[in-house]
Amino acid sequence: MGLITNYNLRSMTVRKGTAAMTAMGIAMVVAVFVMTMAIAQGFRGALVASGSNENAILLRKGATSETVSGVLRSQLPIIEAMPQVARAPDGHPLASPELVVIIALPRVTDGAPANVPVRGVGPLAFEIRNTLRFVEGRRFTPGTREINVGRQAVNRFRGVALGNELKFGSASWKIVGTFEADGASFESEVWGDVDLMQPAFQRNGYQSVTLKLVAPSAFDSLQSTIGGDPRLDLKGYPERDYYESQSETTGTLMRIFGIFVTTILSIGAVFGAMNTMYAAVAYRTREIGTLRALGFSRVRIIAAFLVESVALALIGGAIGCILALPVHGVSTGALNMTSFTELAFKFRITPLLLGLGIVFSALMGAVGGLLPALRAARIPVARALREI
Amino acid sequence: MKFIGLVLKSARRSKRRTALTMMSVAVAVFLFGALRAILDGFDAVAAASSATRIVTIRSTSMIFSMPVSHTEVIRSTSGVTDVTWASWFGGIYKDPKNFFGQFAVDPESYLRMYPEILLTPEERTAFIDDRTGCIVGDGLAKKYGFKVGDKMTLQVGIPVYGSRDFDFTIRGIYRAGGAAVDNQSMMFHWKYADERSTPQGQIGWYISRVDNPDRAVQVAKAIDDKFANSPYETKTDTEQAFSAQFASMLGNLNLLLGSVALAVVITTLFVAGNTMAMSVRERTTEIAVMRTLGFPAGTIFLLVIGEGLVVAGVGGAIGALASRLIVNGEYLGLTGGFIPAFGVSNMNVVSGIGLSALIGMLSALIPASAASRLKIVDALRRVA
Repeated sequence: MGLITNYNLRSMTVRKGTAAMTAMGIAMVVAVFVMTMAIAQGFRGALVASGSNENAILLRKGATSETVSGVLRSQLPIIEAMPQVARAPDGHPLASPELVVIIALPRVTDGAPANVPVRGVGPLAFEIRNTLRFVEGRRFTPGTREINVGRQAVNRFRGVALGNELKFGSASWKIVGTFEADGASFESEVWGDVDLMQPAFQRNGYQSVTLKLVAPSAFDSLQSTIGGDPRLDLKGYPERDYYESQSETTGTLMRIFGIFVTTILSIGAVFGAMNTMYAAVAYRTREIGTLRALGFSRVRIIAAFLVESVALALIGGAIGCILALPVHGVSTGALNMTSFTELAFKFRITPLLLGLGIVFSALMGAVGGLLPALRAARIPVARALREI
Repeated sequence: MKFIGLVLKSARRSKRRTALTMMSVAVAVFLFGALRAILDGFDAVAAASSATRIVTIRSTSMIFSMPVSHTEVIRSTSGVTDVTWASWFGGIYKDPKNFFGQFAVDPESYLRMYPEILLTPEERTAFIDDRTGCIVGDGLAKKYGFKVGDKMTLQVGIPVYGSRDFDFTIRGIYRAGGAAVDNQSMMFHWKYADERSTPQGQIGWYISRVDNPDRAVQVAKAIDDKFANSPYETKTDTEQAFSAQFASMLGNLNLLLGSVALAVVITTLFVAGNTMAMSVRERTTEIAVMRTLGFPAGTIFLLVIGEGLVVAGVGGAIGALASRLIVNGEYLGLTGGFIPAFGVSNMNVVSGIGLSALIGMLSALIPASAASRLKIVDALRRVA
């Protein structure tokens, strides 16, 4: 095996131009594959990062997202009194009643309005979401028209900067701090006091309650306590599950698009690889004949040509991965079809994704090399040797 | 022209290779056509939007409602000839995954405002007369197998409409007479939804018709001025601007699809260029013989370019025609009714073929110039 494989791999370098072009064709396909999947990955990642195992979110029964949920004011004290809710050192329950409304802000790039979520939160929201850190400024003071904005919103929308005022909900709100949240979707949001947001947007009540559990294992007992209380028409979700479900619609759409494009594109590249391998076989007819005359079996000839084709494709795959790498970490935005707001996120290329890209390229090489390899094996020895 | 036979002959020299190259160009052009069609779908919405319709929403965002009593104020604005309204219902048909647009509208004025909603006169009357009636687009009807007379039930998605399910009777299936109307939507009586909503008398947006499209912007401003400093400040835009904003919310599609298309073209260039290089290398001796016989270098150059053009052009034509036949809105109805059904236009077919011709020429450029600069003596000495 060693000798003949070595022969095939060395033959590849004889036709450098052809080999390079074929590898580049495959590289482009792998690059497109990795990049489109990186978008889907990044989008999902931003939402999943928003959820914590230690937290639970309560929504109205049957509601699929916060936007269509409702929690009555009178239900909040009942929830806060539950034993599964963790408490701050001063004894306050760690539960944040929240309200999400959508406002339109002009994008920095083209001035076109984009939907930005404004989240009214309770005073302990920052203790519950403990991944949030302030980049600049400070927290808003409850009871005042002060707001905090996520780091991604600062970069994307006009007039959103520390010290500026934003006008929405028939009032002016002063930005006193910007925060980051490990790339979570909160970074695209505007946060303020929920008790001031309610009158500003003519809302009576909340949409959801997010609370910190005494322990992640307390979730099941919380769920049964809620279910057993006739005053609560609510349902709890582990926060991570909830945010993951929010990424489903758009994430799936992005993945379908990526797969559609790369599948079609890969067909073209496979044809290219086939061409190259057919040519390689044709050129080396006499050599193949010699090998066969020396006693190498058909199977080994097939294997050797397949190895050559896969190796060529793998080189392409590696180049494609390298071509795609620079987009890692680049920020972009997309509309989340579930919440109907724009979510900023970063392209995320994971080792698994690169691995998939490489496997994909090997597959293209194998498919493209199969027919030419079979042809090489079928060449009659006598005729091959006679060929000039 | 007299060399066409020669070009075709050289293209047929290795049939398998030519076929494979044609197929890869075809695939690329197919993909290109499909991507173009998606973008065109968005553009078509903006282009088909009527210049005489203007849309009024709350200045904060379109998800906020405003009182239906604005109707008369808007109607009294000079330049406005007709006004209607609609609300987003956001209900759930069996499963939240079955997403399509549901609009609570005032049937008579809405159908008057949108002559693009094509209904038979009987369906139209039946819809207007039935308080719980609804109409659905033919695309939606096909997707879920709706027929006129069927009952359908929507679960409430937005809490303002209470918690009881809404039952409807399908009174008509409309066709979309223009891209401004989506054939994957459902419309029903606003009064029916309003009866059960808290607070009552709220609508999502107003659509007004202006008498003179040139004055649309002034009329829009006049409407906004009337509501300035009220709790319900408005923002009025032409339907065109409104649709364009809506599309832009879906993200920077132009850039995304554009870069994918570029990758497609580059990949194909590599594949086709490779083939041409192989083809020329194989014929080194032949080309040298032709040069010896007196064919000028320029002719050799053109012959190779012509071969690239033929191979890629035929492939492109196959791909473009395939995309024309296969791609249509029903297969790609992934947008949930945000954009109307789209297909590949004849224009896209032409530009796809043009693109393939370009690929053919570019891919043949280097091999062709190599062939034309061939040193006859060296080439003849070489054993291929």
